[in-house]
Amino acid sequence: MDSTLSALLRAAAQADRLSKASPLEEEVVRLFDQFRDRLLRYALSFGLSMEDGEEIVQEVFLALFQHLQRGKPRQNLGGWVFRVTHNLALKQREQSRRNPQIALGPYEAGLPVDPGPGPEDQLAGSEREERLQKALRALPEQDQRCLYLRAEGLRYREIADALGMSLGSVSMSLGRSLARLGRADGR
Amino acid sequence: MPYEDAHLSDQELLLAADGELAPRSARRVNAHLAHCWACRARMAGMETSIADLVRLHRRSLDAPLPPASSSRALLKARLSELAAAPLAPAPQRPRWQGWFGNIGHGPRIAGIAMALAALMFLVSYDRTSPEARAVPATRLTPGATRRVALKDLCSGQYSKNSQVIPVVQRQVFARYGLENVEPGAYEVDYLITPALGGADDIRNLWPQPYSSTIWNAAVKDELEDRLHTMVCSGDLDLASAQRDIARDWIGAYKKYFHTDRPVSSYPAKP
Repeated sequence: MDSTLSALLRAAAQADRLSKASPLEEEVVRLFDQFRDRLLRYALSFGLSMEDGEEIVQEVFLALFQHLQRGKPRQNLGGWVFRVTHNLALKQREQSRRNPQIALGPYEAGLPVDPGPGPEDQLAGSEREERLQKALRALPEQDQRCLYLRAEGLRYREIADALGMSLGSVSMSLGRSLARLGRADGR
Repeated sequence: MPYEDAHLSDQELLLAADGELAPRSARRVNAHLAHCWACRARMAGMETSIADLVRLHRRSLDAPLPPASSSRALLKARLSELAAAPLAPAPQRPRWQGWFGNIGHGPRIAGIAMALAALMFLVSYDRTSPEARAVPATRLTPGATRRVALKDLCSGQYSKNSQVIPVVQRQVFARYGLENVEPGAYEVDYLITPALGGADDIRNLWPQPYSSTIWNAAVKDELEDRLHTMVCSGDLDLASAQRDIARDWIGAYKKYFHTDRPVSSYPAKP
């Protein structure tokens, strides 16, 4: 084939791809806008670098695109993206296990020591807050993750899927952790 | 004590609070709560723990994240690549069928018009002088920046160019009509380097030839280092550095090195 024509056709296909995003691509980008920060924070809670965290979030949404492209179920996409993030972050952490600095649970690191009092923040700066933080960090990683994902608004079924636990284990874990936080607060 | 046995367990209380009970159990638990102060007080205690946890959780989210704009642009580029790829591995067709297959999907007049423009651009791109080939096409690579604090730029965190991932590299080559280039002939380079606040955006990337010109990738790296040093020492403001390198990096080199030729001579790669 004439090389000029082939270049033309190739450029046409390319230009066409670049000029229009499909509705599915747009939907995935909208979901990215909605979830990116939350998923990135969750990935970082595994003690990963920002670079690894960002790359994991990219992979999550590329996987989501293929998931939707194949006509897979659209229910609980929130749970789905957290589950994929969890699995990828876990895998990445396993790969970099040589690093001894890695945090053990999502609340293990990253709670600022002195956040400053806010109007609605009755906990700030108090001894009570320190006790609660300590109790939270002392929880096993799995229990911290259950709380974390519940605080992110996931339902029990979604948490169970994300963490690979049974539904019963999720409710037992949450109940146990809240009881410990309650005891740390003298209840 | 028999009465104690009748109280609700912590787990039942939590499941009720979270709306996770089956309707029948929920009715029983609610009926019990309605007449049992002790269980209601325990429920309230649990809600307090939840409220505390939510506050601590929010606190753990306070650490700032880099802005989403560059990763968003990257995702869009990768999605468009993915969308163009076949869903499942299909038997290989001869290339020309692939091309006609693409065209045959529907009227692509706009695409053809853009391609013609691209083709005209390519022809002119190839005929230009070596110096002109060393600069990106403004239309394709106008440069893009991200919001970043000067102290972060100067902390060393961004001092090195991050590697452009292969899928984006291919995208950049395709935009410039260079789909079958030899590996190593070009570096997919940031027009405005990340160390100067350049974004991971396809509009900030172009294939820079290593060879054919004295104004090659290694020389541009020298300029980037110089500008970074000047910005961090306060001799040049960041916006000027970004503007100068984006508009005409060779002109910027000549300006900031006070020379008409590269200071060190990097041999063009064969």
